[in-house]
Amino acid sequence: MPPEPFAGARVPRAAPRVLALAVPDLALQRALRSRPGAPPLVLCEEGRVVQASDAARAAGVRPGDSLVQARAACAGLEACPLDRAADRKALQALAEAMLSLAPAVEVGEEALLLDASAAAVVVEPSPLVVSVESECPLPEGEGCPSLLDREARLAGRALELARRLGYQARAAVADGKGPARALARSGAERVLVVPPGETARALSTLPLEALELPAAAAARLAAVGIHGVGALQALPPETLVHRFGLPGAEAARLAQGEDGRPLVPYLPETLPEESWDCDAAVESVEPLLFGLRRLAERVAARLAGRGLGAARLRLRLALDPRGEERLLFPLARPSSSAAGWLLLLRERLGEVRLGAPVTGLSLAAVEVAEAPPEQLAIGDRPEVARALEAVLSRLAARLGEAALFAAEPVDRHRPEAAYGAVSFRPHGKHGAGGSRCPSPSGRGHSDSWETARGEGVRPSATPDCIRPTRLLDPPRPVVAEGEGGRLTALRVEGRAFPVLYLAGPERLAGEWWSERFDRDYYRVRLKGLGDAWVYRDGQDGRLYLHGLFD
Amino acid sequence: MSASSQRHLIDELRERIRRIERRPARRDGFLPSGRPEVDALLPGGGFPKGALAHLAGGPASGKTLLALSALARAAAEGGLAAFVDGRGELYPPAAEAVGLDLGRLLVVRPGGAPSGGARGGPARGGPERGAGRGEEALAGLWAAEALLGSGAFAAVAVDVPLRGLAPARAEAMLRRLAAAAERGGAVGLWLGAPAPGCRVPAAVRLELPSPATASEGSGCPLPEGEGCCRLFPLGVRKGSAGGGRAA
Repeated sequence: MPPEPFAGARVPRAAPRVLALAVPDLALQRALRSRPGAPPLVLCEEGRVVQASDAARAAGVRPGDSLVQARAACAGLEACPLDRAADRKALQALAEAMLSLAPAVEVGEEALLLDASAAAVVVEPSPLVVSVESECPLPEGEGCPSLLDREARLAGRALELARRLGYQARAAVADGKGPARALARSGAERVLVVPPGETARALSTLPLEALELPAAAAARLAAVGIHGVGALQALPPETLVHRFGLPGAEAARLAQGEDGRPLVPYLPETLPEESWDCDAAVESVEPLLFGLRRLAERVAARLAGRGLGAARLRLRLALDPRGEERLLFPLARPSSSAAGWLLLLRERLGEVRLGAPVTGLSLAAVEVAEAPPEQLAIGDRPEVARALEAVLSRLAARLGEAALFAAEPVDRHRPEAAYGAVSFRPHGKHGAGGSRCPSPSGRGHSDSWETARGEGVRPSATPDCIRPTRLLDPPRPVVAEGEGGRLTALRVEGRAFPVLYLAGPERLAGEWWSERFDRDYYRVRLKGLGDAWVYRDGQDGRLYLHGLFD
Repeated sequence: MSASSQRHLIDELRERIRRIERRPARRDGFLPSGRPEVDALLPGGGFPKGALAHLAGGPASGKTLLALSALARAAAEGGLAAFVDGRGELYPPAAEAVGLDLGRLLVVRPGGAPSGGARGGPARGGPERGAGRGEEALAGLWAAEALLGSGAFAAVAVDVPLRGLAPARAEAMLRRLAAAAERGGAVGLWLGAPAPGCRVPAAVRLELPSPATASEGSGCPLPEGEGCCRLFPLGVRKGSAGGGRAA
């Protein structure tokens, strides 16, 4: 019986499938993405070049050079200090967006680690050409090829999302987060999916540095001629433990692809904000929109990862030479659609008069709310939903949020308080329409029928819940004119209207506990005007025109 | 290829292009007013979609009720309705009474929130208190144009007083409303009184005399729309944004 390859490399069942996303030269990519047309650039630390852009490398600058050497090699070289805190934040922002693809994301050193179990729900094909090492032991049709394909698609989507956010990355899916990170950072392929149980084989071609062993252990291994992971795998694990102690045991496990450590999920705590520096001071809107589009996509992706939508955006324009302009954009509903935001931003930017050229932009979501993906019912048209969101946001930005509302019936008899304003949500809790009168249990009371019966008066010909289409606020005082105790005309704002017909009264009273009201309402047909809703105030005895049946 | 199949092919290609461009569907046809006696007078049996209709009448002539009925019909068909309430006088319980689902009715008040509403306070970013009538009218007309052209609303009623606007400016704004209605495929119902010297570029004009004039001395207890109002359709030009010729 032939010996089983990597017999010691049995992967514990607990080893999770992990998608590692490595962002090489993260600091350099971060610096270049906010300044696309930057000159040759190096990032330096303690007077040494740490990372160099392609343009700088073409001029002969190499990492490790002193800054003086680099400047001598490349005229016009721009040097920026390495900012590890900012790099960490950039990686966290990327992790925030990746939350839309995976249930858990860990932020590591120049790499993100995603829980690849989400691959089970990834169905969209990846736009990338995916390299898959398919030596799956299971025959086709038993699910394994499908799983690999889905993991490859997940990796493709993660790379695409990173590209949209301005980063070039490499991805690897493997058992355990240590091996996955090593394969992503040191592998040659842009996307690598290692079948379950074959992680050790995939690791065997990597150099020893890929395992990121402690420096002392790596140096001692190199001293005895161990330079690759394959060579390390060939050594008996007990020998390594005996020779190197605990770091040796760790190295042996990692080399065999055994890493059952769980991911440490990243939980974002701040609201997203993205910035963009202009190459030169900008005076027209079009270049600003170019930068704004990128910022909007980045902020939207970060919000979408958290399942949030922006309810209010803030745009800051840095002005030349100093000062800034702040613009607030209330959105009609929480949204993480960059395209919808851009419509609003473009319109508003076109109206704003800036006092000075703009040198930079910063877009932030200052108010957010949960925005679960909209469930479309049969017959719903997504283009209409998009159009609705866009127009509501435009209206809210121009007129103010309070200018848009949907009315909701309120169980009160005071006519001006019989409805409330709520946010317009066409698919909200509102049910079908229909006539609805305040219930007897409501606050206040309506005595029209009781009064009619009690006083022996014939009830009104019109139902008591008929209301005018227009309500005047405040009610206009009217003066009654009559002959022989009979009402003949009403004088409204100095003009007399003969009374043709009168129905009522409908008594509305109540709210003695706050602001008592006691009114007898009449529907009066006035010649030259039409039907009006007039009441006699029980407290001051005067008549008021409160509405029109237009 | 026959003419009918050619037309069918062209329609199909247009629909495909619309889907690619993700534009809302153009709604052709007519929206019934919700009142059979009115529909009987209107060419096509309703208000034309993609055009402006002018409901003219006095302050209590029943034009608002008729507009609300049409909006109710649009909402009942699954569309959304909007009311641009430039006067701030619309009383939503009356809209509910004609069967309009309030959840599908967007009320836009350029002047701010309703006084009796649960969401009081001045409108943020809205017209300032001291803004002139003309500014308020322009804000209302701008809102109406945005709603009509959005493609999201099936019917939009517009009641914006044109006080403070020069007739030429007002007419230009109304033409923009008509063009927006055509673009968005919505039914636009113009309720405001036109400024002197300003023509409303509507495809249909309904004149509703005051019920007090129509049934003077009769003591008619019926509400409007149940036999009290006379209607004068002036003609429909399908797909027109520039005002129909009176018929």
